[in-house]
Amino acid sequence: MTVPGNPRGRATEERLQEIKRIAGETSLAPGAAKLGSHPQITGHDSYYGLPALKPPVWTWEIPLYFFLGGISGVSGCMAFVAHLLHADPGLVRVLLWVGFIGSAICPMLLIADLGRPARFLNMLRVFKWRSAMSMGAWILIGFSACITPALFANELILRGFDWPILGFLRWSAEAGALVTGLLLAGYTGVLIGATANPLWSANRRVLPVHFLTSGMGGASAILELAGFFVLPTQILGFIAAGVETLLDLKVELRKPAVDAPLHHGPSGIAFRIAGLLEGPGSLLVRLFWGSTHYGRLTAAIFFLVGSALSRYAWIWAGRVSARQPNVEFARQRAGEARP
Amino acid sequence: MTKSAFLTDATICIGCKACEVACKEWNNVPADGFTWTGLSYDNTQALGASTWRHVMFLEQPQRAGPQIAGTSEPFRWVFLSDVCKHCANSGCLEGCPTGAIVRTDLGTVYVQPDVCNGCGYCVVSCPFGVIDKNHEDGRAFKCTFCYDRQKVGLMPACATACPTHSIQFGPYEELQERAKDRVVELQERGYTDAKLYDPKETSVGGIHAFFVILGEPENYNLPPAPEVPTVYLKSAWTSALLTAAILIGVVFAAFSFR
Amino acid sequence: MPGLGTTYGRGGATSSPKDLTNADVILIMGSNMAENHPVAFQWVIDAKEKGTTVMHVDPRFSRTSAVSSIWVPLRVGSDIIFLGGLIHYILENDLIFREYVAHYTNAPVIIPEDFKDTEDLEGVFSGWNPDKKFYDPSSWMYEGVAAASGQGSGAAPDLSGYKKDETLQHPRCVYQLMKKHFARYTPELVEKYCGVSREMFLRVASTYCKASGPDKTASICYAVGWTQHSSGVQMIRCAAILQLLLGNMGRPGGGIMALRGHASIQGSTDVPTLFDILPGYINMPKFGEESKSLSNFIAKYKTRTGWWNNFDKYIVSMLKAFYDEAATAENDYGFNWLPRLTGDHSHQAYWLDMMDGKMEGLFVMGQNPAVAGPNSSFERRAMMKLKWLVVREMVETESASFWYDSPEVRHGEVKTEEIPTEVFLMPAAGHAEKAGTFTNTQRLLQWREKAVDPPGDCRSESNFIFNLGNILREKARRDPRPRNAGLLALRWDYPTEGENHEVVGEEILKEMNGYAVSDKKLLPGFGALKADGSTACGCWIYSGVFPVEGKNLANARNSNDFYGHGWGWAWPADRRILYNRASAKPDGTPWSERKKLVWWDAEAKMWTGNDVPDFVATKPPDHQPSADAQGDSGLAGDKPFILHADGLGWLWVPTGLADGPLPSHYEAFESPIRNPVYPKFQSNPVADRKSRALNEYANSPDQRFPYVLTTYRLTEHHTAGGMSRTLSHLAELQPTFFCEISVQLAKTLGITPGEWVTIATARGSVEAHALVTPRMQSLTIGDKTIEQVGVPFHWGYSGLVKGDSGNDLVAISEEPTVRIMESKGILCTVLRGRRAENTEKLCELRSKGAS
Ligand SMILES: Nc1nc2c(c(=O)[nH]1)N[C@H]1C(S)=C(S)[C@@H](COP(=O)(O)OP(=O)(O)OC[C@H]3O[C@@H](n4cnc5c(=O)[nH]c(N)nc54)[C@H](O)[C@@H]3O)O[C@H]1N2
Ligand SMILES: Nc1nc2c(c(=O)[nH]1)N[C@H]1C(S)=C(S)[C@@H](COP(=O)(O)OP(=O)(O)OC[C@H]3O[C@@H](n4cnc5c(=O)[nH]c(N)nc54)[C@H](O)[C@@H]3O)O[C@H]1N2
Ligand code: SF4
Ligand code: SF4
Ligand code: SF4
Ligand code: SF4
Ligand code: SF4
Ligand SMILES: [Mo]
Repeated sequence: MTVPGNPRGRATEERLQEIKRIAGETSLAPGAAKLGSHPQITGHDSYYGLPALKPPVWTWEIPLYFFLGGISGVSGCMAFVAHLLHADPGLVRVLLWVGFIGSAICPMLLIADLGRPARFLNMLRVFKWRSAMSMGAWILIGFSACITPALFANELILRGFDWPILGFLRWSAEAGALVTGLLLAGYTGVLIGATANPLWSANRRVLPVHFLTSGMGGASAILELAGFFVLPTQILGFIAAGVETLLDLKVELRKPAVDAPLHHGPSGIAFRIAGLLEGPGSLLVRLFWGSTHYGRLTAAIFFLVGSALSRYAWIWAGRVSARQPNVEFARQRAGEARP
Repeated sequence: MTKSAFLTDATICIGCKACEVACKEWNNVPADGFTWTGLSYDNTQALGASTWRHVMFLEQPQRAGPQIAGTSEPFRWVFLSDVCKHCANSGCLEGCPTGAIVRTDLGTVYVQPDVCNGCGYCVVSCPFGVIDKNHEDGRAFKCTFCYDRQKVGLMPACATACPTHSIQFGPYEELQERAKDRVVELQERGYTDAKLYDPKETSVGGIHAFFVILGEPENYNLPPAPEVPTVYLKSAWTSALLTAAILIGVVFAAFSFR
Repeated sequence: MPGLGTTYGRGGATSSPKDLTNADVILIMGSNMAENHPVAFQWVIDAKEKGTTVMHVDPRFSRTSAVSSIWVPLRVGSDIIFLGGLIHYILENDLIFREYVAHYTNAPVIIPEDFKDTEDLEGVFSGWNPDKKFYDPSSWMYEGVAAASGQGSGAAPDLSGYKKDETLQHPRCVYQLMKKHFARYTPELVEKYCGVSREMFLRVASTYCKASGPDKTASICYAVGWTQHSSGVQMIRCAAILQLLLGNMGRPGGGIMALRGHASIQGSTDVPTLFDILPGYINMPKFGEESKSLSNFIAKYKTRTGWWNNFDKYIVSMLKAFYDEAATAENDYGFNWLPRLTGDHSHQAYWLDMMDGKMEGLFVMGQNPAVAGPNSSFERRAMMKLKWLVVREMVETESASFWYDSPEVRHGEVKTEEIPTEVFLMPAAGHAEKAGTFTNTQRLLQWREKAVDPPGDCRSESNFIFNLGNILREKARRDPRPRNAGLLALRWDYPTEGENHEVVGEEILKEMNGYAVSDKKLLPGFGALKADGSTACGCWIYSGVFPVEGKNLANARNSNDFYGHGWGWAWPADRRILYNRASAKPDGTPWSERKKLVWWDAEAKMWTGNDVPDFVATKPPDHQPSADAQGDSGLAGDKPFILHADGLGWLWVPTGLADGPLPSHYEAFESPIRNPVYPKFQSNPVADRKSRALNEYANSPDQRFPYVLTTYRLTEHHTAGGMSRTLSHLAELQPTFFCEISVQLAKTLGITPGEWVTIATARGSVEAHALVTPRMQSLTIGDKTIEQVGVPFHWGYSGLVKGDSGNDLVAISEEPTVRIMESKGILCTVLRGRRAENTEKLCELRSKGAS
């Protein structure tokens, strides 16, 4: 627990009272009481098993952002493709709206995480391709810069405006949304993959696959929820669920120590439930009841819930992983942390 | 401008914590908790947003070099004052999306509090678990290497307070030399497990606050082979872009069906 | 510090921490120097880096042990066996620095037949009075010297008449008596009763003794790990004897570093806050013959030979400083205005008086007895008997808040309404908020400027005392009873400055330095003091710190040599290494190039060197006193210990100590074993247990309290915590009370590390978290295993971080000479769980209480 500092403006007397209160509450309670045997450090032990890395500080906003960013990003991409292949304009319209709404909510989530709106602007001071976080900020901006005009152009055209410029604008904006959308859905995997967090960095190749796939599955699931029980969504549903199942199998079959948080403890349970819903769960439902609308709806919902939950699970597991110094040290000793 | 460095020497540290306190006093960093851990004399536990020097107390069942101690079993008590490593390739700096973290003219790594927006990416980007977010005001903090003091020709507060020269401050090259000599000397004096901790061979590429330690780095929660996370970018992006490409194909295929 | 005072002449550390870098071996015993004197300890680290062997002998493996070359655990309170063992080792193997010992110590001096040693009397020396429990030291006096009978008046003995045998062969010379006296202190005894293996002991002994002789020196550092024992002074005596036998005194890298406590605790013995001495170590007059008149008093303390021949000059000048014009030859310079000692009013004794309702009020300034006082629960209850209590503090300490939040009140044993004490908490200025001097552990006076003005109503001590004096004098004027005459006669006219009307600190320093009464001209040093009332000097040993107007040497800030001359000013006369005449051979040439310090320059006919000679600069090495020579010229040119009437270092103390001319081992008041050395005398016979209700003792041994407990400090806190537990940056470092126990003991009692335990002694009980660590070792003593429990005593019930006070466990007791409590070494038991969970067990312990 932190004790109030003396950041600007704080009346020292008030601060003292606060410190007194906190001290009073804590000082008499043993921190690491019940240590088992007396603490000793031998061989390659870590420092009394205390965390050697800092756990991620992110709360619920960021995983939710990952989830929505994934869906809206892929929606943007699908919108272009669907449009290109003369799919049902209603479907394209939904995709554009999903992309747009997502791109509107995402910054809010980030701001909620940062605390103050102004703070989001600091992200735009610099463009650092070596910082996945910086890239992400620009990608998000880029995506909304494309999806927004695409949506408006599309809406106007649907309302009968037939200025040629609109057509051109829609095409180019959609094309942009395809690129930035995919980046938006994928970079989040890179974002946590390219960190010092043992679990994440060890899974840096898997994460983008997983995030993009569940973005795709999520997007098509939304279409199904919107009532588009068409073949493409069925196919995408199968593929997404299938890939997720394979990813689950991979994680289940080869179990490096660093993956422990995905297998054990609460974070492990959350991860498994998420995996089951996204992967085998929705896959089997589609297989056996995919012919019925209810079946497809269920599969879609399974997938959406699963992919949302899996984002939490990854952050959660990352937190656990950061608290396991011995695992990480062994991994580094074995040279497994090398790129 | 010559590059500044710290050489912190576990073999002459007396565990007085003067560095820890001096740092907090000079930088007006708040106390961060009054919990008794029972882990030797270490109630600080780790570096963090409001702890920029952290003195460790290792109780170990082995002898301290040539020391003769009247314990029934071999025993030693080692102290080390941990601090931000001011990495040559620093994860926090690379990761920071706002440019709040900069490399100073002194070669040190500095967080500009007025630019930091509290995104917390540096926290997961530091391979040494140093920098952290202050949940009170939402921004990230760590050792400033007393940039303010250095600029007016003062030594960092921690080094100034250290009564035993366990914290040595000076030009990078000079201290590198001294550190190497020190290890050799200690080896000769019978501290056979004396080491210099300065991960040069990994992508971190060396640190500006290096340590002379006894035993294994892990014992001090110092990673044996830390990597700056940017080295993972390539593989991660590759995977992302490939997947994206495939994904386009898949979507294309899917929508070609009617 | 009479241990050093009697052996060498002055009660102060003989060297400086920096000089430790010149030592070949450093023995740290009875001190946790790294934790409690970290800044001074840098020199120990430097020395070790240069190759010095650092040995730490301590019951606990502390931060000092961690960086020492050798750590030797020993049984609490067994130090005299260990040190006696070292002395025995030196004498048996004839390792003394012969030329040094023969010339500079009283080893050759012959002691009369009627002296009987502890060996003859099975544990006491001749002169023992079993009923009154004190010694008549007359039989300890040198042969051929008329002893002054211990009590009453009589003239100071003329030691110069001693007989000696420089071959050290005479059966009754001190050297031979010591051989006999220490014969029992064999390595086997050490092994058996200190718990130090034979080979470990011999390793220490040989390492230590090798660092002796013309070319080598060893130094000893100690602090309260020695003093806080019922035989503390004798522990220090052992060290003093060691340094004389090995010729380590007065030489570079030698000496004894008595590490002092509070920033200016040395200063507050020089200008004492003690009840039985006056400034400059002038005794407080005792009621009776010796103080009937100034001449009686002078006769008693003025020696014919040696420095104290100046006693009359110093006391008269002091009285002139006190009473100014009012002090005249006719009225004995106001000598009779000085109070007379009628008994023991030491810190220990007056708390008992307080408890017995013999005291009305108390000023507590810069103290926190409710936490730091031995048997603090007793002391809190005693304060509850006072009519009024003034606490001058920077924070509200336990001593100011006991009436509403002490454990006694919280546990409902006492009700606030029933406490008559009226408590006045007066805001005090801290050291940064007022100017003045610190006299540090190396007798160095350092001036301190005021950094900031004290906030609000906070005022300095001098301001408070000055105004209190004014008010009392005002009352006295209205009440002309004789008892008030002294108060009215005082010179009490200090100039003040600033809007707080703070007394000008430098004026007080000047008064201590001394001035000519006629023209108020400052004096260059104590050499200028006179006994005819023409000079005034508040504290003769500080004379010279302010030699001329505007030259405050305590404020000098350009050190110009290794010993730091030019930075501050060390008493006496800026001598940094005391007795440094001994750093040269009798003929005045250095013992060796490597260890030279001061020497006789034959051309210049002067003593010169790297330090101010602690010797009359012009007195040649071959000086021989005439039969009737007075003062220093009464001492030969090869007698370095100039404060002694014989100029010798006292291996043997003929006068001045309450518990014997030579150290002998007694067990602590509470001990797990019977005294193996003198079975007839379990504990120091002259020490006072002050045993009474609420201050009971355990038996030795006592099956109820099987473990040995000792108390100590942690770097992170300062004594009672008023200055550390109230500051968040310090409080967080050691946030609560804990005790340290061995892994073995934890196993036996089934204690999980970190959990609560209750510690109980015959006085009281506390609850603490158990820090289980190999730093505490079980020791094999005789045929049994002894467990030792470590208790830092810093916590209390107010401040940011709280915890029980270890002093609730300690007894009020008195070492016979300095009257310090025995807070190192008591008996206890340890129970699993918190106090509340152990109420039955604790009641049982009390009920079974047979002591
Ligand atoms: N940080 C800090 N520094 C301080 C203080 C403080 O409170 N905090 N206090 C100051 C004051 S007032 C003083 S007096 C000094 C005291 O300085 P120290 O004397 O160093 O203080 P302690 O820690 O009480 O005791 C020293 C050592 O004595 C050991 N000891 C206990 N019993 C025995 C025994 O029977 N024999 C031997 N040989 N050793 C024994 C203890 O294990 C402890 O390690 O420190 C001063 N400096
Ligand atoms: N069991 C056990 N008991 C011990 C000891 C031990 O080793 N074991 N050690 C003993 C020793 S050596 C000592 S010295 C004592 C110390 O015991 P104390 O002196 O009673 O305890 P301190 O906490 O040092 O009290 C000093 C107080 O003075 C206040 N103060 C500081 N500066 C000033 C000032 O300028 N003016 C005024 N008016 N107040 C000021 C501080 O706030 C603090 O509360 O403890 C003794 N008690
Ligand atoms: S140690 Fe961590 S916080 Fe410090 S510079 Fe390196 S990466 Fe940044
Ligand atoms: S928290 Fe501040 S310092 Fe850290 S990465 Fe974000 S902006 Fe940069
Ligand atoms: S260099 Fe300055 S900021 Fe860094 S640890 Fe030292 S004192 Fe603290
Ligand atoms: S100040 Fe120096 S000696 Fe003290 S703990 Fe810090 S590094 Fe160690
Ligand atoms: S607290 Fe003051 S006196 Fe004590 S060691 Fe530190 S500097 Fe020296
Ligand atoms: Mo003290």
